Amino acid sequence: MRKGYILKESFKTWLGAIKEKFPLIAPVQDDGLTLFKEVEKVDDIVLDYGITRMPPKDLFFPQTEKMFRIKNKNNVAIELESPEKVTDELVLFGVHSCDLKSILALDPVFTTRFPDRYYQERRDKTYVIGLSCTKALPTCFCTAYGINPTDADGADVHLTELGDKYLVEVVTERGEKLAAAIPGIIFEDTTNLEAEKAKLTEKVKGEIKFIDLTGVKEVLDENFELPLWEKWAQKCLGCGICTYVCPTCHCFDINDFNRGDGVGERFRCWDSCMFSDFTRMAGGHNPRPTKKERVRNRFMHKLKYHLDRYNIVGCVGCGRCVQRCPENIDIRAIISDIKGGV
Amino acid sequence: MALENPLLPHIATITKVIDETPDVKTFQMVFDDPGVFDVFKQKPGQVAQISIFGVGEATISITSSPTRKGMLEFSIKKVGRLTSVIHQMEPGMKVGIRGPYGNHFPYEMMKGKDLLFIGGGIGLAPLRSLIDFVLAPENRQDYGKVEILYGARSSADLCFKYDLFDNWPRQPDTKVYVTIDRPEEGWDGHVGFVPAYLEELNPNPQNKVTITCGPPIMIKFVLQALEKMGYSEDQVVTTLELKMKCGIGKCGRCNIGSKFVCVDGPVFTLRELKKLPPEF
Amino acid sequence: MLKEKIKSTVTELLENKRIDFVIGYGAGSDAGTVRPAFVKSVEEVEQLIWSPFAVNNLAKFVMDHLYENIKIGVIVKGCDSRSVIRLVQDKVFPRENFYVIGVPCKGILDKNKVAKDFDLSGDLVDFTEQGDEVILKTSKGEFKLRKEDYLLDKCYRCETPTPVVYDVLLGEEVAPFRTDDYEDVKAIENLSVEEKSRYWDKQFEKCIRCYACRNVCSACNCRDCVFDMAEPNWVGKAANLSENTAFHLIRAWHVAGRCVDCGECSRVCPMGIPVNTLNRKMIKDMKELFAVETPGKNPEQGPVLGTFRTDDPEEFM
Repeated sequence: MRKGYILKESFKTWLGAIKEKFPLIAPVQDDGLTLFKEVEKVDDIVLDYGITRMPPKDLFFPQTEKMFRIKNKNNVAIELESPEKVTDELVLFGVHSCDLKSILALDPVFTTRFPDRYYQERRDKTYVIGLSCTKALPTCFCTAYGINPTDADGADVHLTELGDKYLVEVVTERGEKLAAAIPGIIFEDTTNLEAEKAKLTEKVKGEIKFIDLTGVKEVLDENFELPLWEKWAQKCLGCGICTYVCPTCHCFDINDFNRGDGVGERFRCWDSCMFSDFTRMAGGHNPRPTKKERVRNRFMHKLKYHLDRYNIVGCVGCGRCVQRCPENIDIRAIISDIKGGV
Repeated sequence: MALENPLLPHIATITKVIDETPDVKTFQMVFDDPGVFDVFKQKPGQVAQISIFGVGEATISITSSPTRKGMLEFSIKKVGRLTSVIHQMEPGMKVGIRGPYGNHFPYEMMKGKDLLFIGGGIGLAPLRSLIDFVLAPENRQDYGKVEILYGARSSADLCFKYDLFDNWPRQPDTKVYVTIDRPEEGWDGHVGFVPAYLEELNPNPQNKVTITCGPPIMIKFVLQALEKMGYSEDQVVTTLELKMKCGIGKCGRCNIGSKFVCVDGPVFTLRELKKLPPEF
Repeated sequence: MLKEKIKSTVTELLENKRIDFVIGYGAGSDAGTVRPAFVKSVEEVEQLIWSPFAVNNLAKFVMDHLYENIKIGVIVKGCDSRSVIRLVQDKVFPRENFYVIGVPCKGILDKNKVAKDFDLSGDLVDFTEQGDEVILKTSKGEFKLRKEDYLLDKCYRCETPTPVVYDVLLGEEVAPFRTDDYEDVKAIENLSVEEKSRYWDKQFEKCIRCYACRNVCSACNCRDCVFDMAEPNWVGKAANLSENTAFHLIRAWHVAGRCVDCGECSRVCPMGIPVNTLNRKMIKDMKELFAVETPGKNPEQGPVLGTFRTDDPEEFM
């Protein structure tokens, strides 16, 4: 990994040069929400945000994605039109360490065994620039999963704000292309900067309430039935907020849109295991018939199933579900119940 | 070059529709591009996603044996939106097929063994892919005695009557037991539920593998009966049906614990099944 | 203290087996948040709290117990009590299966407003109210604030500070002391057609179709919701402006005349869509057209669009 620094005063010039070459997606303020959106002006980018309202997964796995166009003449003549190209190259800027990790957690779902063309192409064509956190929110708990709030893991280029400079870590080969957007703008010297980054890491980690996951997976491995599931499920509204704001939830539905004249499209869209009809079969049988099974499934997925399957965390401690759950169902409190044998 | 797209179906044409029961039809399909057969290569017990374009997709088990080349058969019960539409389709009409998905019946492990198939209702459809595979002349010598125990609500609800009463009984060392739930005028066969008939027949577990599929309640009692008769958990194979969308382990819908039925199933031995949470 | 009153009331109800369980408020993750608490035994009563941030409307949770021979205690504020009327009038949950524990309310604090000025990340240890001032004692410090500056928007227009229906009232009735001027609705009414269209397009574009607004809504009490149906597929699952607009407008019309204006739809929306403003426009129009009150405010008044009278003028026929 190559390291260097960029002066804050030339930082926006560098981003501007990148924006000249690629569409630039970055956190911006939009109607009161901080969201990853295509940037009109580099000045619109919010650099000191806590967490974006929605996770960056939408860039690789859009909420609604047209898969192919359908021309169906009375089921006798069928034409399917697959998009030549799913996306152009683009740059995703300003991703915090928890969200970077979440992309790594989604990768094995979509890119191994029957690689998903749509995700794969979006992933291949997106350059990711990470950004260290400089402060933590009360809902942050990335450290529970061994993630540091300044980790570069998952980024092509990673930035850390340190005084009048940004420490630049060029993590991947692809990152070199971005670093070279303006030759000479990144200075190779990193004297003191790495020590300063370590200091920042400790500072932000200190602001995060540490959630100790020791033993949690083991309890879940051994116990499918625990009273805590009913306790938490009765508070649940059965909405999809937690799954939609979650950076690692990947459930989707596939549907056809039909204009009525045989022309239409097949699309996929996010779906939620919290919805009552998610697993309900055409004949009416439902393997997860009540909120208890559904709530359990979601938290088991976060804390066990994803780990079992892909050997990578299914939760990154971003805290979005904690912030947004209308009834304050808090995964940190659930973890504590699991450990407490509730 | 665009990447391969596993979610894009192959176009196929319905070549024959067989009325099995008042709510089950069997559809013979042929890929419009014959080259697809070379890559499709299903194994007994696998499933496919059938598309009706503009309506959607449904997961259907492939009921024909891979030994029957150049076509695929799907037996479809009318239960929902898509299956109601497909029931109105006729030969010459086009659908989409993608797959094959899932694991398959462990036909290698079954070699040299006697096989007991236990099916109920539409549950015979996935079993039939293995029955016809085993009974195919090129494979028959690899397997021992074949017994098929099958039941439905009434005689009209029996699927694959041409197999049950004609094709299969004519095969060497093959026996077919058919039962219906309630007595019926003109029916001189067995009457009673499948699990009860199974206990009545009391088949000896020695060197035998059972393969069962049917409604959840039937499976439950069949599994209990088999355990009572002394079948070990490895001798009992079943195949599950869960709601699926992608078929390729991504959409998250068909999980039972950490397993996805679409890629890790649908075929499980009782030993494997018992390790899973009871969410099926 | 209200918290003590709640606990003693619930204890008595549980001890005398007059209710099967109670739905109340428990401590949340931070000082500004509460979490529904389901208390089934006297031992669990300790979980119950009262908080100046107790915004959640708990009435709809009874819907998890339809057709059960059960009596459920529910702690309701004035606004929430209208939801009880809704569920009873819609014959979703019978009045006799409710035990309504009413809490007279002078306004609930908006945690988002308070959090801008004070650190709410600790636990709420205690609070006291003196006149117009609230002192929040949290594990991160003690904060004194003027209530009037930090109320939920809906509280500034509350016309039913005392629950309209209750089996027991924990405290003195609070006489209505505010009126609803529908300023929020008027602000949008005053826009040009193009501006209105732009405004709502912007809002509906944000929708992620999580259905939290529907799931929290006491007027959304259908057994099978049209938005969950695949056949007929009135509204597609795709999240785009067209389908999202259909979703919100269908829902607004479906709850028109029944929406009790509890404001929960706007509160729970993760994308900040003012869902409730749509419903309030309907309420405002219906008040003007039919001289009715906010649904649920008057238990005698049925859903205005679901009421037929032979002397209706039928001007439109």
